[in-house]
Formats: sequence, C-alpha cells, structure tokens
Amino acid sequence: MSGPAIAPSGGRGRAIMDALTPLLVALAAAAVVLMLAGHNPIDVYGLLAVESFGGVKRIAATLSAATPLILTGLATAIAFRAGAFNVGVEGCVFVGGLAAAYVGFTFVGLPAAVLIPFALAASVIVGALWMLLPGVLKARLDVDEVVTTLMLNFIAISLTAYLVNGPLLAPGSANSATPMVDAAARLPKLMPPSTLNAGFLIAIGLLVLYWLWDRGTASGFETRIAGLNARFAIASGIDVPVLIIKMMLLSGAIGGIAGGIHALGSVGRFVSGFSPGYGFTGIAVALLGRGSAVGILLAAILFGALATSGATIQLFSDVPIEIVNVLQGMVMIFAVARFGWIIARRRRAA
Amino acid sequence: MTEALPDAALPPSRLGARSVTRRFGPVTANDGIDFDAGRGTVHAIVGGNGAGKSTLMRILQGLDRPDEGSVTIDGRPVEFTGPADAFEYGIGMVHQEFMLVPGLTLLENLVLSSEPVDRLGQLDKPRALEAARLLERQAGVVLDWDMTVDDAPVHVRQIVEILRLLYRGADVLILDEPTAVLAPAQVRELVVLLRTLRDEGRTIIFISHKLAEVMDVADDITVIRNGRKVASLPARDASKQKLAEMMIGEVLVQPSARAGETGPAIVDIKGLTARDAAGNERLMELDLTIHAGEIVGIAGVAGNGQDELASAITGLGDVRAGTIHLGGADVTGLSLAERRARGLSYLSPDRAAEGLCLVAPIRENAIAGHHRWPAFCTSGVLKRRAIARHVDELLDRYRVKRGSSDLPAGSLSGGNQQRVAVARELDGNPSFLLACQPTRGVDIHGIAFIHQCLLDFRDRGGAILVISEELEELIALSDRIVVLYGGRKSGEVARSSAEIETIGRLMLGGSA
Repeated sequence: MSGPAIAPSGGRGRAIMDALTPLLVALAAAAVVLMLAGHNPIDVYGLLAVESFGGVKRIAATLSAATPLILTGLATAIAFRAGAFNVGVEGCVFVGGLAAAYVGFTFVGLPAAVLIPFALAASVIVGALWMLLPGVLKARLDVDEVVTTLMLNFIAISLTAYLVNGPLLAPGSANSATPMVDAAARLPKLMPPSTLNAGFLIAIGLLVLYWLWDRGTASGFETRIAGLNARFAIASGIDVPVLIIKMMLLSGAIGGIAGGIHALGSVGRFVSGFSPGYGFTGIAVALLGRGSAVGILLAAILFGALATSGATIQLFSDVPIEIVNVLQGMVMIFAVARFGWIIARRRRAA
Repeated sequence: MTEALPDAALPPSRLGARSVTRRFGPVTANDGIDFDAGRGTVHAIVGGNGAGKSTLMRILQGLDRPDEGSVTIDGRPVEFTGPADAFEYGIGMVHQEFMLVPGLTLLENLVLSSEPVDRLGQLDKPRALEAARLLERQAGVVLDWDMTVDDAPVHVRQIVEILRLLYRGADVLILDEPTAVLAPAQVRELVVLLRTLRDEGRTIIFISHKLAEVMDVADDITVIRNGRKVASLPARDASKQKLAEMMIGEVLVQPSARAGETGPAIVDIKGLTARDAAGNERLMELDLTIHAGEIVGIAGVAGNGQDELASAITGLGDVRAGTIHLGGADVTGLSLAERRARGLSYLSPDRAAEGLCLVAPIRENAIAGHHRWPAFCTSGVLKRRAIARHVDELLDRYRVKRGSSDLPAGSLSGGNQQRVAVARELDGNPSFLLACQPTRGVDIHGIAFIHQCLLDFRDRGGAILVISEELEELIALSDRIVVLYGGRKSGEVARSSAEIETIGRLMLGGSA
C-alpha cells in the first residue's frame, strides 16, 4: 500500500509540477467546453480571477469559502497519511455541525470565552466518535474503510435531518432547522461585513500544527511510514492498527470542527442540507494539495475561489454559473483520477 | 560488411549480440557487448547484480532495443519489434515468476494459446496428450498431466514452462536464474533436462550468478561486469575462482569460522508449533537454541516451515504451542516492538515490501524503529540534526553508495538497499539477529560485505539465526546448520561436517 497525497521529501520541483498538472489539464479541458459554448476562455478565466482576488472584499469572501475546505482537506489528508482512505469527512461535518449548534442554542447565557470552546469541543468529540467504528473495523478486522465511511455519510446526513425535523426543530419554524445559536456562540467576524471569521484563523492554526507534526514528531514520522508501507512499519515495531484508529479519530475530530466552525461562523445554526459537499471537496483538496500543509491551503483557496466567483460571474457576463461548475468538476475529476489510481494499485497490492 | 570465417572448432552461432549498447540516461547498462551462443550448446551469462544481465536478456527476447549494435540470429543482424517477433525466430523465455495459469491442468497450460480442438471447439485431449508425451520423451521427463498447476511442485511448473516453449516451436530457450527456487536434487534434474535438450540441437541461454551451477551445466560462459563483457570462454577453461574474480575484478576472501567458545543461550525455543496465514500448521514441535557468539543456519526447501519459524520469532505469526525465550525472558506473548526492546533485530527476506520503505528517504529507512531512542527524540519531537548525523555516519560505515540520504531508498541499487537494512538492524547493539535471506538479490561483492558484517557481529558476541535458500551461504556462515523438512527438524550438521550433499538429502526428507 502506498500513500496518495504523500510526496516524500525531496524532488520538490517535481512535486509542484505533479500537483499543478491536474489543474492545468482541467483548465485546458474546460477551455474547450467554453469555446464550444461560444465563450472566450481567456476572458472567462480573467473574470474569474478578478471576481475571486480583485480587492480586499473579494479576497475575504474567497478565504471565507475556503475555510471549511481547509479543514475537510486536512481531515482527509491526515487519514490518508496513515493509509486510511477516509471518505467520511462529510458525515463528520454534519454531526459536528449539529453538536456545536446544539451547545450554542442550549447553553445560552454563558460568556463567549466559555461557550465557543465548549461548542467546538462538542463538535470535535462527536466528529471523532463518528469515525471510531470504521477506524476499529479497519484496524482490527480489515474492513474496507472506503465502504464504511461512505455509508456513514448517508447515515449522518439522514440522522441529522431527522433530528432537525423532530426533536431539535426550532419552535414555530417550518424549515428543517435548529434555533439560532446564542450571539455569544457566534465566531467573531474578522472584517465585517464579510463572513470571514475567526474560524479561518483556527483552520490556519491547525494547518501549522499539522505541518509541525508531520515534519518533526515521532508520531508524524510513524504515520507517514505506516501509510507508505504498512508491512515495513509493522516490522519496525510500529503498532499500525492502533495508529490507524488514532488517525481516524483525529480525522473525524477535524471534520467535526469543520462542521462546528461552519455552524458557529457562517450559518448560525444547523439546517438540513447543512454542507454543500465540503467533505467530498475536501478529498479533492487533499489530493490536489498532496497532503502537504501548503498544498492543502492553496487547493482550498482554489476551490473557495471557484465557489465565490461562480456566484457573481453571471451577474457581470453572459457566462452561466453552470460553466463554473463544469470547471470545478473538471479540477475535481483530474485530482480524483489519482485517487482511483491509488485505489487500483492498493487492490493489486492486497 | 565482411563476415569473418567461422572457427571450425565452434558450432555456428544461433543467437548472439554484436556491440550491443543500451543507455538509460547517464547509466550505460550494456556497453558494446558481444557474444555468440552456438547451436546445440548451453551458454551461461554470469555477472553480479547490476552488471547488465537483465538488460541484455530484455534485448535478446525483443522486450527492449539496443541503442547501438544488434542481436544476431544465425549470424545475421535482426531487429525485433517485440517478444512475439523474437518468438517467430524461435526464441522463448522462461521467466523467474512462472507464467502458468492457476486452476488449469498442466496439459491445458502446455497447449494454451495453440490448443488442438475437436469439431465442437473443445480441447482435443487425446491429441494434446499425444503431443505432451512426445515432448516428455524428447526431454526425458515424466509428468502427471492431469495435475492442476496449484498442486504441482515448483520444479514441475518450471519443466512445464520449458516444455510449453518447445510445444510452441522455440529452439532457443532463455532461462533467467532458473535454480533460485529449486532444491539441490531438483537442480540436478533441471541440469539433466537442459543437457538433453542441448543434445537435440537446441540452444540454451542460462543466466545465473551461482557459479557452481554454471560450471556444471554450461558449455560456454560469458562474464559481464558493469555493463561490459569481461570474457567469453569455454567452461572447461574456467574455474569458480576464476569466474568470481572476473565478476568482481578482485579475489574474494572466504569467511572464516570462529574458533572461540560460544556464550550463554540467547534464544531458546521449546516445542514450537506454528501456523501460516491460512491456518495450516507448518512448523511442528521445534526445539532450537542459539547462543551468544554463534550463527545457526536454517536450511530447507522453501515452504518447509522456515517462514513460520521466522514469523513466530518476530511475533508477527500465529504460534499454536511452545515457548520462545529471548535473553532469559519468555517473549512468546509479546509484540514485535517489545521483542525489539529486548534485543531482537529482524532482517526481512522481502526487502522491497517489508525490509525497507522504498519511496521514503534513505535516512528514514535507516532510522525507522530506532527513531524513539533518547538520542534521536525528546518527548515525541525528533532531533533532526542528531538523526542526520548518526545516519550519515552509520551508512558511511556500511559503505552505502548514495547521492544524498534525502533520496528515496528505491534510488539505490539492490545491494546498497540491503546494506541500509543490515546497517539499521545491526545498529544499537542488539543481542540477537534473525537474518532471513540476508543476501537475496545482492551481487557477489555485496554478499561478501554483508557476510563479513554478520561474522563481525557474531564475533562481538551476537547470536544470529540465518534462514537462507542459498546452501553455500549457510555453509559459509553457520556454526551449525539445522535442516527443516515438512515442518520438523530433519537433521543438524556441524560446520566441520557440512557438505552440500548431506544437507541436500536432509532437505528432501532423507537421513544424514
């Protein structure tokens, strides 16, 4: 078994080229689609760039959209590092988001300095527990985690939908939503009126911790080795099953906090259909970013930019938003094509 | 082009090479290689790992093309478009990993892809069997053709592989390290088979680094080193010592026995019964003691319990009964990490999949498992500089030829990869080394170096258990050799009386 987003140190130039290739191929392929649809690709790409990065406000919007993707990308990358192909971060976003929202609207009256950590801790714990079962099944019984985590996504989405339609439905509300969280539970905005909030700083902080962990700790080293070659790690005396469980829990915890930050920072409550696939885009982010901290940040910003510019581009041009979706889909396909290749290789090795 | 008159004493060339040169980037794998394999001869090509044997073989069978020079058939230069094209010229290859289809019978495998069929399109078994019997008679062997491949012993599969090529019309057979998987008696059978085929006028190219076999089977020998031909000579003019000198360019010193006394028991195994991954008992009631300052060798045909013995000692396998003591303490129920902490070192037989992590940097490979030692790690944080310094010093000591320790281990040659693994496993004064196939796929020069490392470790008071398929290696290293057959100890020979013939008999279940 060999890891996916795990470029071994050395050969940095090649690693950058490898990472850029799916993006460039996707841009080229989307250019063909644009031309067929009668648009000038250069104009469209220029417009996208301006809408994403042209000015402080637009950059803030892009970073705000990138925040959950940094976290889900990081959550996915950590599991990948250990050789676990966790595709269940989406489910963690749902259960973590609901847990944070629940604390946020239930414990009204606590000061922000207590309530925010409390709510985020709830999302972390619930997210981690959500990954306990697939982690243990993989480590102890060699049950394929791709299947279990994928299935758990559907359970998470349906379970939270049930809860916000029943027990946790806001009184007097017809929507499938919880009550709004207490004002003290809202993450502070960094540049009002932009939605960019303190969650972005938490995400960056976690990325830095990840970078330090990966680069300089015994645990990071063991995880990387286990992901690259589990048999070698075992023969070296590393307890790979326990390591896989730990990393799955950590992955779930980060997925949970992604949901918590989204609930407390952007939405202000939990609603049905809470995440537009942040967990799945996180897989593309982790793959495109090759599991490196900087790579994850850049890939998350790219997808964040596509999300924000897509919404406004049709206001200023005759390019429909679907074209932006096509572009986003293509980047994802070319990034994930690698994922398919990794899975195929893993099956062969097994 | 003027053709030299053929030497009357030599049979005409059937397959040959003229100034074959092949470069891969800055590496010249084959540099102007010439040789001629005469019709009706066995021509051995010998050389260490990385000498260029594999590249030459790929070119001879049409898998690769030379940058300069050419392959010759019957003395004329030809250009193969691919292996199928080479086969059209009668050249067939017997691979190291046999290419038979599991689940089918030997007969079905023999005729596969050009099978005789009846009017309904079904395999015409009588006609296929007739062809098989004819080949049997030509080759001087007898096979049970209804056996499935899965039930056939490895040497039978190899014979089927050879007959399959004959069935399809090949008259030049290329055999790549054909004896690597065989027991001594089976090697002799193969040698007889190859001689029979040669006497019928077929041409055999025999690639090996085992000099005793080469001397035994070959009519002519071509030695290559560093991509260049050193010499082609008739086998009658060669000797093992002479060939070894040509292969490495210098004289090897044979490892010497230790004269001194052995110390206390380091490993004590009692009544060990162990199962393989599928749950079958493969090792039965084995007693084995290894003392400080002693090398014990385990001989046996592959699959007679060696793997289960190794995995019982590491703690990775399934122990059914019995106990294992290491340094006086019972470790039977402990994990590999706990056993390593008590002085166990383990050199894996599978360097690429278990002994090293080829995609990780050399430095990480050299430190893995030792990275939490206080010298390299404080409260979970690695001391990167101390590690780098230690690894560079360690790898220099083991003369690992490398560009930078940051490069992936996969960038090293096989011999240097194994040196990294040996360096790591002998680092930090273990009390016991379990060395499985310690020189598999290592060239003759690297073998001598690794053997010396093991002997030095023993002379410092270390205990070693060597499990190897190379009898010569076991004889060269071991103070005692224990032979396994059918999962039981079939005999034990002391170094002074160790002879290949005796051990070979024990390996096949006979008595000493």
